[in-house]
Amino acid sequence: MIAMRFTSCVFLVLLASCCGGCGQGRLASPRPDDEAAKTIRAAIGGASAAADVAAESGAAGTGWATLKGRFVFAGDPGQPKALVVDKDTEVCGKSSKLYDRSLRVDSSSKGLAGVVVFVRKSSRVKSAVPETPLVFDQKNCEFLSPVFAARVGQPVDVKNSDPVGHNTNVAGTSFNQLIPSGGSTIFKPAGETGMPVMVTCNIHPWMKAYAVFRKDGYVAVSAGDGSFQIADLPAGEMLEFQVWHERSAGPNGALGLDKADLKWTPKGRFQVKLQEDEVKDLGTLEVPAAAIGT
Amino acid sequence: MHRQDSPMKVSTNQAGILLALVVAVCAGCGTTPPASFRANLVEATKQRLTPDQERQVATILLAMFGTPDDPVALPETGLDEAKLKLCAGPVRSDIVGRKNGLYREHCAHCHGISGDGMGPTAAFLNPYPRDYRPGVFKFKSTERADKPTHGDLVRILHNGIPGTSMPSFALLSAVQVEALVEYVKYLSIRGETELALVRQYFELDDDAQGKLPETREFLVDEVLTPIAERWNGAADARIAVPEMPADIDMMASIAKGRELFYGDKANCVKCHGVTALGDGQANDYDDWNKAIVEWRKEVGGDKDSDWVSKANRVLAGDALRPRTIPPRNLRHGIYRGGRRPLDLYYRIHAGINGAPMPAAKGTVDPQDIWHIVNYIRSLPYEFDGELGVDRPMVAKDRF
Repeated sequence: MIAMRFTSCVFLVLLASCCGGCGQGRLASPRPDDEAAKTIRAAIGGASAAADVAAESGAAGTGWATLKGRFVFAGDPGQPKALVVDKDTEVCGKSSKLYDRSLRVDSSSKGLAGVVVFVRKSSRVKSAVPETPLVFDQKNCEFLSPVFAARVGQPVDVKNSDPVGHNTNVAGTSFNQLIPSGGSTIFKPAGETGMPVMVTCNIHPWMKAYAVFRKDGYVAVSAGDGSFQIADLPAGEMLEFQVWHERSAGPNGALGLDKADLKWTPKGRFQVKLQEDEVKDLGTLEVPAAAIGT
Repeated sequence: MHRQDSPMKVSTNQAGILLALVVAVCAGCGTTPPASFRANLVEATKQRLTPDQERQVATILLAMFGTPDDPVALPETGLDEAKLKLCAGPVRSDIVGRKNGLYREHCAHCHGISGDGMGPTAAFLNPYPRDYRPGVFKFKSTERADKPTHGDLVRILHNGIPGTSMPSFALLSAVQVEALVEYVKYLSIRGETELALVRQYFELDDDAQGKLPETREFLVDEVLTPIAERWNGAADARIAVPEMPADIDMMASIAKGRELFYGDKANCVKCHGVTALGDGQANDYDDWNKAIVEWRKEVGGDKDSDWVSKANRVLAGDALRPRTIPPRNLRHGIYRGGRRPLDLYYRIHAGINGAPMPAAKGTVDPQDIWHIVNYIRSLPYEFDGELGVDRPMVAKDRF
């Protein structure tokens, strides 16, 4: 009897150690398909086919057009939360109290600010990358542009109008520089961001903004009244736009709207073809409360 | 007698069963299948990939990079496959007695087979071992956004990283160190490629039906080449360092550096603290840990319960518990990226990529950076007078 109890005990311990040891609980890593991998390896060896230039620039049309619209928020935005300001309190949040700016809705027009609209792919660009720097400033320990768009290669003058020092850290770009009081430095975004990336200051952790960099510059950020406009778009081709909002419930911040006429997808994309010299107004684009997450 | 024999008999039988079980257990856990790379499940789950998509990424990576036992280096990577072979596979000697499997012998227990910084010992180390997969390295001679040079990584293997669990590998031969550096680059390029692929699913057009193109144009030209070019261009991105004037008045330079340390221009004091003990900004994270902190928040706020339970399993099994990053205590005289004045110049000029430490480049003059270097180097030895008299701890009050 004793021996039996002993062995069953050992058995149990062994069983437990087996289950523990073999790694239950950790998800299995996906297994590759060996045969398919062989096919891919054969396909990626050697030289690339010459890019089909004709297909790339084959889009019809020569002229330019404009797209505009206005985002309104169809819910109750509530009261913005006050930010915890615990550094440099003799300066930060002194001239005006600092609030969470992730959902900025105009009280009278219901306009939703900070919505980013950009073209995913375009065949033609009208103007060269501007040489004049865009200003990205900080004051009262707050970034003055909560959502900021620039063209790849365009100089951005990162300034500090505060009497205290800041650093400006743009996620995904490896840009993180000291900006002394009254100082400034030039930042040239080297590549596209895809969706907007976060901008922070490590000295003052509550400071937050978003930046989006696009090669063709076909990008707009909705203003305080929710309106946006992108000019000089290539006419005569199907353009796909991506829409983003910081608080959007969609994947990667994609803002999905229920607009079948524009083929608006849950990935926050819609398609429009513009005629030469057309100024297309999408009118009022209603953002339901459900499209905005926590 | 019979009554005494009986338990013996049973126990012999049971010992047999036990033996069989032990064998079964050993077989279950022990016969190791060939080593395989572990997928970046954090990013794949974050991007809500389907099981088919996760499998496609694994398949593409197998085609482009091979396995931990049999690595492949496409010519576009610029990697030397012979060096990789010396590091790959289990630890063994080849026909001429040359040691093979160097990565698994020296690195994998901390940095993991996949270079994810999650080897078996990782959770017990502070700081955690580097996760190579984002392709971000801290201690280097290049501008902040650029990759480390080959020489930078060789230096780290030679010197180790003081103040961390990373030891020196100076006892390895030059050939072995060269090979390991190549293998670290391989894991890094592979990890960056994986991240890029996983993130590409969101960028797909709807008519792609959720499948990445398996063409050379996409996989090599669009995804791999830009990553490899940044590694191969690192040597051109070295920081230009003006020489410190040979006739510099060291006491004056230290005083100037101190002024800058506490001043608003360099602002070192904000994070490294008025004591310079690294007790200023203490609740920040580096990029690796911040990614997990941010994702935890996202998982906490999500309503899709299936996804949340998967995400929680991934957080438990494929991520280490996030830790804050303390700014360096400058009174220890231990500098992770090396203690030469030149090393400190690099750290201040470019900041530390992946860490909150910002770059002073552009807003602080090169000569002023040298002054800060001189002050930092004086901090562990700061002494200002009478022996046996306690001086205020706060450096600011000591003069």
